[in-house]
Amino acid sequence: MTVAMTVDDLLREPPYSLSQSEKERVLLSELTELTGHHRQRSSEYARLIDVIFPHSGAPSKLAELPYLPVGLFKERLLSSVPPEEVFKVLQSSGTTGQTPSRITLDRDTALLQTRALSRIMTSVLGPDRLPMLLVESPDVIRDRKEFNARGAGLLGMMNFGRQHCYALDSNLHLRLPEVRQFLKSHGKGDFLIFGFTFLVWSAFLQQIHSLGLDLSKGILIHSGGWKKLQDQAVTTDEFRSAFRKFTGLTRIYNFYGMVEQVGSIFLEGDDGYFYPPSFADIIIRDPLTFEELPTGQPGVVEVLSVLPRSYPGHCLLTEDLGIVHAIDPPGSTRLGKAFSILGRIPRAELRGCSDVIAEQVN
Amino acid sequence: MQVEMLYPRRDTVGLEDLRSAMAGGEANRPFDDDVVEACIELSQRLLREPSARRYPELLALGFWMRKAELYRLRQQFDLMRRGDCLLVPCGTVFHLPPRNVDTIFVYSWLLSALSGNCNLIRLSRERSGPTLELLRFFCEVLENAPPSARESTWIVSYGHEKEPTEMLSSLCDMRVIWGGDHTVSTIRQVPLPPHAREMVFADRFSLSAIEAAAYLDLDPSRRGSLAKQFFDDAFWFDQMACSSPRLLIWCGDLADARAASADFFPRVNNYAMSHKVIEPAHLMHRFLASSLAVLDRSVIAYRRFPALTVLTVANLAAFSRNHPGGNLFFECQLDGLSDLASALCRRDQTLTWFGFAPEDLKNLAAVLNGRAIDRIVPIGQALQFGRFWDGNDLLQSFCRQVFIGGPDALLPV
Repeated sequence: MTVAMTVDDLLREPPYSLSQSEKERVLLSELTELTGHHRQRSSEYARLIDVIFPHSGAPSKLAELPYLPVGLFKERLLSSVPPEEVFKVLQSSGTTGQTPSRITLDRDTALLQTRALSRIMTSVLGPDRLPMLLVESPDVIRDRKEFNARGAGLLGMMNFGRQHCYALDSNLHLRLPEVRQFLKSHGKGDFLIFGFTFLVWSAFLQQIHSLGLDLSKGILIHSGGWKKLQDQAVTTDEFRSAFRKFTGLTRIYNFYGMVEQVGSIFLEGDDGYFYPPSFADIIIRDPLTFEELPTGQPGVVEVLSVLPRSYPGHCLLTEDLGIVHAIDPPGSTRLGKAFSILGRIPRAELRGCSDVIAEQVN
Repeated sequence: MQVEMLYPRRDTVGLEDLRSAMAGGEANRPFDDDVVEACIELSQRLLREPSARRYPELLALGFWMRKAELYRLRQQFDLMRRGDCLLVPCGTVFHLPPRNVDTIFVYSWLLSALSGNCNLIRLSRERSGPTLELLRFFCEVLENAPPSARESTWIVSYGHEKEPTEMLSSLCDMRVIWGGDHTVSTIRQVPLPPHAREMVFADRFSLSAIEAAAYLDLDPSRRGSLAKQFFDDAFWFDQMACSSPRLLIWCGDLADARAASADFFPRVNNYAMSHKVIEPAHLMHRFLASSLAVLDRSVIAYRRFPALTVLTVANLAAFSRNHPGGNLFFECQLDGLSDLASALCRRDQTLTWFGFAPEDLKNLAAVLNGRAIDRIVPIGQALQFGRFWDGNDLLQSFCRQVFIGGPDALLPV
């Protein structure tokens, strides 16, 4: 491994093959370069870094790199490319009633995202496109007005499958004949199942659990919406064991990711922990001091990725809580940080004599 | 449509029932003994009962309306009396307190009730723990009071419907709107009887000023107590009370200002860390809010502590009063207090201070000449409510003066 690895090299490596120390060396140089890149191209970013991180010129470790609050992308459109090079502006679906994030992409960054996602997915799906069962209704991508991160995520994932079959109708009812037909044609070999966690659990599994469908050859990839499941007190273990018991499905991969760093997702390993791919990392910070926390201590998650070149989103402090369980865990097929997400930072209301009544009227 | 009645009885009532229930109300004489006694009783219960003592804001209210203080108010009221006028209540006062400062409804009620008025209070449907507790004591005390105190107050609760506000407004002689600009302008659209008056409390901004050299002259323990007092002003309501400081002015030369600031804010942070639960959600909110402030304002330095963030601005030119709360402090160095006047505006309410001569503060108020600032109090007293608020004398405002001219008054001057 040479020190002078580029983003291209990182994307060519198998995604979980770098030890943490190797990865940190490579990422430190890449992300420092990227900080300079954005500093030169975005005056807003330069201003933020100069004022908030005035001494961050030559970081000696990843935790010393300047970072932005992820919520900034809900408030401002930050861009490191001239307007004519903007290829598209990604918009998050956001939680109901919240302002969506907006992310500026140029062609290069969009391409990097696609390549990155592909590296990660092929590591569990293999090189070939598999028949794909979508735990969604076809309406999600049909209605372009409602097109959002959920639709975009779905389209992105559809590239990894073929002979797509939608398992749900627009009322989220099971399309049983179509699903049976899909399994009859493809259920004897590997096939891909994809959906958002909450739908997979509450719409899909709840409707098929008594039907005796055989999904044992399936590979389920799911993400997002854990909060709703946590409200129902469903744990990862229950989720996995229910699928095993009712459908024979055992290859289940949750992933953690966000629209602010598309492509750079954190896919579950066989041990049930998330792992950053070689071109990304996470840091757990103390919620009060923002200092980096050691392994085993829960804190606020910062996500780092070398992919964002068209917008300054390479180091972002999220509003999620997480914990690193082990680094380069022995016995795991993957190297790097094994972590889990504990949920959102609990909301806390500010009090005072401001406008509460009228805000509710409007 | 139906509204929830909370006092004099718990019930769900139609608007017409409410109107007839209120028809019997008669105003009292100012400082009616039974009303004063009921206030004393409420104060004692807030100071005594463990379930009230759990909430510092209820304790503060109980202390503020304690017996000695009520007698002092009565004396002040007597000083307002003139030989040629009779001070009488306005009649019926309709109070619209804010949802998120639990105690305001009692402060507002108290000054109005002492002045002799009948009171009609609208509370939000969402009521916090301290509000519920306070409401319970309030109702118990009034239910057991003599008729003049018992039968001159009504408390109702409803959502954001217009009809009850219209009906209640039509019955009042004075309307008091606590809340932000938006609430004020929404409720102002509801007409009042032609003779009725209105007192409104809009969104305000408050700031502090410290003479840097005077601060640096303090010994460490005095610096610590000033930091504690500043904490009380700012952190009690997470900087969201209208009188909480959001901007700190250091008066003096730049070196003194820097030295004083470098000493002061760590003290405030340390005190806050040991006296307040710091919510991670508030830190994230503050990190985002300060990032936005850096983008939008002339911020030249950023200091983040667990309990607070300090943003130094180069000057106060076009300084926006929009502020997210959550213990985000702007600071600015000025050569002297006289440089402050040009930076102040109508929205600025309370100036808390340390280290100035009273003359300088009076001069500032005179120079401002009504253009800004309604209150100038030492650091530590920002949240102390009083009869003088937002430029009003509440005791005076809750009364009418009946002029009684003698034969002399008819003579040409």
